[in-house]
Amino acid sequence: MKRSILYTYLGIIALLGLCACGKDPIDDAGLLITQRSQCYMTSFDLLGSDHRTVLVSGQTKVDTTALTVTAIAKFGTNMQRVKPFCSLVSDAIVDAPMGVWTDFTQPQLYTVISGNRQVRKTYTVTVTLQK
Amino acid sequence: MRQPLLLLIPAVVALLAVGCQKSVEPEQPLKNDLLKKTVGPAIVGDRIEFAYAIGTLEGDLKNVRAEATVAGGPGTGFSRNSWYTNYSTGVDQPKQTATDTLTNGNVSTANILDVATNKAVTLRYYYYPTADSQGKDVSFRFSGTNSTGKEVSIQSPNYRISSMDMKRSIVLGDGAKAYVSLADMTAYTKAEVEQNNLANKIDFVYVYRPTINTFAFGHAIVAPSNPTYLADVTLPTGLAKPRTAIDKRVDVKDAQLRGTAGFDVFIDDIDLQQTTFTNAADYAYGLAADQGAFVKSADGTYAAYVYVNAVNNTAKTMTVSIKRLKLK
Repeated sequence: MKRSILYTYLGIIALLGLCACGKDPIDDAGLLITQRSQCYMTSFDLLGSDHRTVLVSGQTKVDTTALTVTAIAKFGTNMQRVKPFCSLVSDAIVDAPMGVWTDFTQPQLYTVISGNRQVRKTYTVTVTLQK
Repeated sequence: MRQPLLLLIPAVVALLAVGCQKSVEPEQPLKNDLLKKTVGPAIVGDRIEFAYAIGTLEGDLKNVRAEATVAGGPGTGFSRNSWYTNYSTGVDQPKQTATDTLTNGNVSTANILDVATNKAVTLRYYYYPTADSQGKDVSFRFSGTNSTGKEVSIQSPNYRISSMDMKRSIVLGDGAKAYVSLADMTAYTKAEVEQNNLANKIDFVYVYRPTINTFAFGHAIVAPSNPTYLADVTLPTGLAKPRTAIDKRVDVKDAQLRGTAGFDVFIDDIDLQQTTFTNAADYAYGLAADQGAFVKSADGTYAAYVYVNAVNNTAKTMTVSIKRLKLK
């Protein structure tokens, strides 16, 4: 009886050890690939050269069904040199990368990719300037 | 066998003890030390400040000397005062400890006062870079003597004198001294631009409009190329329309342009050399005190940082200070 308990105990320890040594999958950027299939953008912001938001408060709409983002930039914003930022559902990534100076005089496309890297949804981001 | 080994133990311990002792140099009767107090770039129009400390155990302190490898401008030399902190108020107080402070060419000297009590003093030495020294390295050799004839000295590292030019407190006025030339680092009126044939030297125009099209606008600098924000301005006759690149900043509070203590952000040569103006605007609006803009002349000759010291909505003025680097 005592011996069987000991063997069971050792077996659990060995199993835990094997699990601990297993490598989680990562993508090309070294980010963890998880089981999550959710794929959507939750917020969007745009910064000017002074690293302050250029968007009019309360006017940004992220439509996760139509896959669009619409926003209004403040009067006088230099739309050719703005830096986009967004937040996503857990574990998702976005392509092209945000946080780089971008010309937003035309709508820009950003693809959200789920945590399991199986689902891709392309958002069209349109920012209009106050006139 | 074990006994000889046991006998070795005291010898090993003794050797270790000797080995661990630090070699103690004999106390020097005359010592000095140097601290560079300023942390910003050495730029023409501002000064570098050193604290030179000297103390003697023999005789009295006699004099101190500083020799710069490049002669400084007016104001270079030792201050007569040492400083101590008043513990009641927390404010630093001056106390005169030196006299006969002289600067002749590269060499500054001072004699120590009240030598019976001033056995150790710290004196301030100020160095004002000159236009001739821009881009050059300068170093300093500080030395001092006591009444027994002993001398002590200390050599500073090299410091690079900035190639930037700086001009503080230029008052711009809407409809008045609104036309700014980076080449001259000066603001002109419309009449001055026309009378002095400066139409090709103006890099930006200052305007103040509380609102445009009902939207807040405020104090702005605008390149002559911009038709939108200069639409209601009667520009000087023949004014060239260069597209000066203007990139607004709100968090670059340069301590030298600000001209007050308590800030430790400095724009140095490398900032103006490496700042990129890709797709930069030709205007910056909504400017307020402590904000500013990186500016690059249309022909790429000058890069500058225009810092806003103050704005006045009633007088429609904006006071700016400029650091400028000639790029080519």
